Amino acid sequence: MTTTTSKSPRLGRLTPYLLGLPAIVWLAVFFVVPLVLMLAKALQECNPATGVCTMSWNFASLSDAWSSSSTIIFRSLGYALAATVIDLVLSFPIAYWIAFYAGRRKNFFLMMLLVPFFVSFVIRTVIWKFLLSSDGLIIHTLQNLHLVSSDYQILGTTFAVVAGLAYNFLPFTALPLYVSLERLNPALLEASHDLYAGRITTFRKIVLPLCAPGIFAAFLLTFIPAFGDYVNQQVLGGFTNTMVGTVIQNLFLVSNDFPGGSALSAIVMGISLIGILAYGRLLGSKSIGDFV
Amino acid sequence: MTNFPEHIDPSVLRGLLSPRITRRAALQAGAIAGAASLILPASAEAAVGDSAWWASKNKTGVLNFANWPYYIDTYNGKHPTLDNLKTTQGITTTYSEVIEDNPTFYQQIRPALQSGDPTGYDIIVMTDNSVGLRYLLNNNYLIPLDDSQLSKFKANASAAAKKVYTDSGKRIVPWQSGMTTLAYNKSKVTTNKTSLKMAFDTSRSNVAKLRNRVGMLSDPIELGNLALLAIGKNPATSTPTDWQAAATKLREQRDSGLVKQYYGNDIINELKQGNLWVGQVYSGDVFQARIGGNKNLVLMNATEGVLLWTDNMCIPKGAEHPRDAMIAIDYFYDPAVAAVLAYYVNYMTPVPGAKAKMLAPTKGWQATTMANLLKDIEVKASVIASAPEVFPTSTYKLKSYYAFKTQGEIDTWNEKFAGIPTGS
Repeated sequence: MTTTTSKSPRLGRLTPYLLGLPAIVWLAVFFVVPLVLMLAKALQECNPATGVCTMSWNFASLSDAWSSSSTIIFRSLGYALAATVIDLVLSFPIAYWIAFYAGRRKNFFLMMLLVPFFVSFVIRTVIWKFLLSSDGLIIHTLQNLHLVSSDYQILGTTFAVVAGLAYNFLPFTALPLYVSLERLNPALLEASHDLYAGRITTFRKIVLPLCAPGIFAAFLLTFIPAFGDYVNQQVLGGFTNTMVGTVIQNLFLVSNDFPGGSALSAIVMGISLIGILAYGRLLGSKSIGDFV
Repeated sequence: MTNFPEHIDPSVLRGLLSPRITRRAALQAGAIAGAASLILPASAEAAVGDSAWWASKNKTGVLNFANWPYYIDTYNGKHPTLDNLKTTQGITTTYSEVIEDNPTFYQQIRPALQSGDPTGYDIIVMTDNSVGLRYLLNNNYLIPLDDSQLSKFKANASAAAKKVYTDSGKRIVPWQSGMTTLAYNKSKVTTNKTSLKMAFDTSRSNVAKLRNRVGMLSDPIELGNLALLAIGKNPATSTPTDWQAAATKLREQRDSGLVKQYYGNDIINELKQGNLWVGQVYSGDVFQARIGGNKNLVLMNATEGVLLWTDNMCIPKGAEHPRDAMIAIDYFYDPAVAAVLAYYVNYMTPVPGAKAKMLAPTKGWQATTMANLLKDIEVKASVIASAPEVFPTSTYKLKSYYAFKTQGEIDTWNEKFAGIPTGS
């Protein structure tokens, strides 16, 4: 930790916290308060006709939500994990190439990576639906080439859902990886080569450990929204691959079951928090002072 | 042949829109407080909507109208019937297509209704089979209409539409109606053409023919009521035991491999594209698809019955321009206006005289508008006037949806049916 000598030691200790105050207030107002309200709602009984909820400390709603949706939760975890791994495998070489070989055109290639994502998330997904539909460009072409049967379909399958997730969350993986690789000192790679390390050894012993925080951040930034996503499943999937986000949406908007939806949201949030805590524990900073 | 069904099955309208439990009956039954909030009108609001209250309301020339998408005549980005409302009545309408589904819209306007604030709308359109309209009626969130301002309605509305008005405590009048049943591709499906068995028969031979070619609506109300018809029950008089049997039937249907997916309003596109051969549909969508070139799509007149729903105009409490809303509601019961509307939206009109006006438009605004719309939709009025989807014949066995009486029933229904489209 570094402090300026011109300030008093006490002010110096407070500085990082004062600087972090806007973020703390932001988090409190827009994250902690809604989170507490959601948890409270999960324990209440509500009349959807009047919107009146009374606190009944109904902790059973959490166990009910788990027992009725555990299969779907595990399925969602599986899909999110698959999409994240696909994104990591696809993004790493892209980010590596841009970071080390794109030269003066880094910004151009980064922009090219992001251009498709200037279009709305839902519209992108719906376009994929058109592309993958039975009479869409891809399947129609494959059928005309007699490479697939006449009743072959992709929409409604697990493949379509995972592919949609992987596509839509790619920038969430690629950008943290790029930032992490960008900060890597190329001299370390040269030193590794000078010490007769091969490409694989250099990657394994130098690049991977130094990029670990970036990889983990990319993992979380992709995995958590993919886990709770409902758009891809609803547009590209079917009833055999329902994800937990769809169930939550239906509980809130179709059944008007606010406590049930809140309980399931709380479970999803809890699972996501485990990942974030693991990140903080393994790779995060120990105190706010580390940043000063 | 009639327009809005005069020949309707009496069970369709019997008490469907009237509060099923009166204040006295509820008190006699010792209804619990939670149920009471669902059922009892608030006595403190009794003055709203009576003749003295209406007498104090003046026309402002402004109307805010909330409706479903694609549910009004449109030509060159304008709505001719609303333009004519301005010309003839001096009322300028802000028309918003903000209602995507009933429960969501109800939850959007509920806080304003509860606090007595304006919702921002003077007319809203809600479906009779929905819990949203039931909540609005039971919580006394709708302004009783001014009976003295409904001269066109009284002169031109069908008997069924008048019954809807009366049974609702004079708080709603129909906008348009429609049927929910199956549609099928006649070039692909050749058996069970008049039976819901087409989509529900899980025999090996039927599954072999229609595997992954059947689509159902994801809305639990639509799903459950059609399944009740499929198992031979009248939804209007069904019991929770019947609901369980219907849910079991739906799971059998789903797990047999017949069902490809559960859809929203986009199911009609899947049928048009040929991805589905059989689908649960709204009648107007099928008609529009057919006149749009999908000649093989057929709306099934099922022997088990066809579900009838009605979307209704109502004035939410707190409406800032109630007098203008009343004038507009009555205006839509002018046969010439109703003819233009039905000609464009292709749903069932509550104005029987609209058919004659569709075939022989009145010179002036109506004739000019229909000529303009003809350029747009390219379908002659005679085609629409003879379409069973718009003017169903008496051969259609129209059945009503189950009308929920308590919140407990709604919860039970959702427990049985809401999980089916998500695979649980």
